[in-house]
Amino acid sequence: MTRKNHIWIVGVLVIFVWIAAAHSQSPDFKKNIYPVEQLKPTDSVLKVKVGGLAPDFTLPAVRGGKVTLSQFRGKKNVVISFVPAAWTPVCSDQWPGYNITKEYFDQSNAILLGITVDNIPTLYAWTNQMCMGSGTLWFPVLSDFYPHGAVASKYGVLRSDGVSERSLFVIDKKGIIRYIDVHDINTRPKLEVLVGELQKLEK
Amino acid sequence: MNELYRIMQARKDLKNKIKLIGIGSGNSDFEVNFFRKKYEVPFPLFSDEDYSIHKAVGEVRTPYFIGVRLKKDGSSEVFYSKLGGFKNADKFLELMVKLSGL
Repeated sequence: MTRKNHIWIVGVLVIFVWIAAAHSQSPDFKKNIYPVEQLKPTDSVLKVKVGGLAPDFTLPAVRGGKVTLSQFRGKKNVVISFVPAAWTPVCSDQWPGYNITKEYFDQSNAILLGITVDNIPTLYAWTNQMCMGSGTLWFPVLSDFYPHGAVASKYGVLRSDGVSERSLFVIDKKGIIRYIDVHDINTRPKLEVLVGELQKLEK
Repeated sequence: MNELYRIMQARKDLKNKIKLIGIGSGNSDFEVNFFRKKYEVPFPLFSDEDYSIHKAVGEVRTPYFIGVRLKKDGSSEVFYSKLGGFKNADKFLELMVKLSGL
């Protein structure tokens, strides 16, 4: 910062903005985020691969009804975002980030499915609080609670302690997996990587 | 925030005396640029991808405001440090002016 001679005090106001930042949760959550220590980065063995057919599943959605992966076949590309658990630090930032970047999904004719192993009431409370400042989530949030983590297990992203990996699966309109990121559970995947993968898809 | 910046810019008595910058903790340049464009942020935003700034100030939750007085001898002093946004940009700016001693 340059300072001119006649100015002897310069104030700087620094605001830490919230975009989609891990560890710096939105105040929407107040003190309800459970502190989590550093965990083993990944703790499961993937059962699917890029180029293979994505295993189909049907799960209950927080907003009611059920969502089946194959219902999007021939209609939409699908991004599945497994996050480990409601009310934990990184997850409480990752989805709000996707929530403000809907245009990237729209541009690639993609729907996002958010999945955790939590039950519906927990997901209801968590997503409601997540969105206090920013309306509602535009994408379905699905509960892989019972049988516990069955879908996460099918994809090979169920950790030994019963939560899922922080993982992303990009599935094209034909149901073929085009991209997999089983991410370090402690960190949030960067938006630009997912956007880059979305842009490779046929609309 | 954009309104606060506009009010600051319009105040001739504060010209070159107070600056506003934003830091996106944990955000990449791509994410910060998206945010800048989407919300038409007119003041400088910086990414803090590795959380180094975030850690240095004590891993605050966001939004978090820090007011820093830069003294003539090169030292600095924090005059405001608080979690949470504001509802009234005019009042907030008045508070900043008052606390900073501008």
